[in-house]
Amino acid sequence: MRLRNAALGAAGLAAFLALGEAVPRLGLVKEEYFPPTSRIARAFADELSDDTFWTALGDTLTGWALGLAIAATAGIVIGVVLSVVPHLREATASTIEFLRPIPSVALIPLAVLLYGSELRSVLLLVVYASFWQVLIQTLYGVQDVDPVADETARSYGLGTWARVRHVLWPTALPYVMTGVRLAAAVALILAITGELVIGAPGLGARIAVAQNSQAVPEMYALIVVTGLLGLLINVGARTVERRALAWHQSVRGEVAV
Amino acid sequence: MRRLLAALAAGALLVTASACGSSGDSGAPDSGSSSGGTTTVKLGLIPIVDVAPVYLGQQKGFYGKHGLKLEISTASGGAAIVPGVASGQFQFGFSNVTSLLIARSSGVPIKAVSNGIASTGVAGKDFAGIAVQKGSSIRSAKDLEGKKVAINTLKNINESAVRESVRKDGGDPDKVKFVELAFDQMPAALDSGQVDAACAVEPALATIKGQGGQVIASPMVDVAQGTTVAMYFTSTRYRQQNADVVKRFQEATAESLAYADAHPDEARQIITTYTKIPASVLAQVTLPKWPAEPNKESIEALAKLGEEDGFFKKTPDVDALLP
Repeated sequence: MRLRNAALGAAGLAAFLALGEAVPRLGLVKEEYFPPTSRIARAFADELSDDTFWTALGDTLTGWALGLAIAATAGIVIGVVLSVVPHLREATASTIEFLRPIPSVALIPLAVLLYGSELRSVLLLVVYASFWQVLIQTLYGVQDVDPVADETARSYGLGTWARVRHVLWPTALPYVMTGVRLAAAVALILAITGELVIGAPGLGARIAVAQNSQAVPEMYALIVVTGLLGLLINVGARTVERRALAWHQSVRGEVAV
Repeated sequence: MRRLLAALAAGALLVTASACGSSGDSGAPDSGSSSGGTTTVKLGLIPIVDVAPVYLGQQKGFYGKHGLKLEISTASGGAAIVPGVASGQFQFGFSNVTSLLIARSSGVPIKAVSNGIASTGVAGKDFAGIAVQKGSSIRSAKDLEGKKVAINTLKNINESAVRESVRKDGGDPDKVKFVELAFDQMPAALDSGQVDAACAVEPALATIKGQGGQVIASPMVDVAQGTTVAMYFTSTRYRQQNADVVKRFQEATAESLAYADAHPDEARQIITTYTKIPASVLAQVTLPKWPAEPNKESIEALAKLGEEDGFFKKTPDVDALLP
């Protein structure tokens, strides 16, 4: 089954690449603006042999990982505190709903004003965008705690910390993991967008330079890199999620009786 | 865009004011780190052909000779650089003249320190040009009336210049339909007929010419003789507190500009280190002129044009901007 899925996936990708080769070759779009796959592949190979490319990749991954770590930690901690402390959730609900839809890119002028074109301005965007994903999922997760289980824990004399650890956390974890997985993808998008628009060092800035330089195949090669990065991050996040939730019925795939 | 800039300006003022308050009495000028007589300064640039002299000057050691170590931060657009300098993220920046005039007229405390680039002054052979597709019926700037013209930023230097070209050719600039489009997208937009003309700069202009496009007017040449298009600048506060560093930057930049102007082949070579312009395109690129001094008459002309076209809140003070 898995093998067949992989084969189908590969076939789909091959068809897509062939289409990318054929469309410009047939003259449906001009080669100058949309180069065929083979030329993009050559530019891709050139990139891989360039030291500055790896530095840029490192910069982007640093921004992504740091941003995601900050957002996930803050989202989980704040989510749990908001849910556990009485009335705090109600008091903050409207503020959260007000802040959450503000697109992170709208904060670019603020980021530039505060930090110029540095890693920190990218971090501001990444953290702002991915924090909400984790926070909201954590809030839902904590809300899902079975009151009977919680009462049972209380009647057995478990303290606040023990209840958070043994009742609240296992219930919330699947939600939190979903939040982190979503946040991982959002963080990558924002890291690259931030670099692209602000010019902070990284793959995004490299794409901007290629665009300004009329280096079309190089630009597409870099875009392919960001796509691959997104794919890897998604696969990685799913693996982490499966490991962390190996005990959970959604992953075990059997119904607990 | 203007409102955004105004908001940024206000924010920048606040940040600068609060920074003054907190570090005002420490006495130590925040000129970045300095060690062994070398001062490290941050310079905000856009990675384009225009700034080649700085990279060349850095390579040739002109900045080192003046006790400066340049730390170049690249930004994708000029819009990020003015607030960056005003708020002290960068000590120096590079921006076009009209953007600087707009910033001054909105009260952003900045001051030019050195020339950046100037037009070649030769019609049809400038680094900026209004280009049309091969076989277009548009023959001169007057024909742009009623046509769609791509421009990188509305209400900025290129719009001023294109309007002046149309006016000088006897047309009515108010009848031109300006469309905002990034330089790099202009060749494709022109080729596919999405716009009738484009005000492009290098290397997009070389790409357009390469696909058979024609340059029908040179807007920067129409503005004035040897128009100063962009300059290096700093904040008035940094200039007051670090007059010596500013002077050294000025001298080193003047040397770099003169060197780049005299050695176009080396300038072309250095461009390959910080852009990805393909060699075939780079060979066709028309380099700008890099005089050491800004041309005041041309800046006054741009101020006047910007005022006529309503780009400024209040008349910008050219003397207060210039070094």
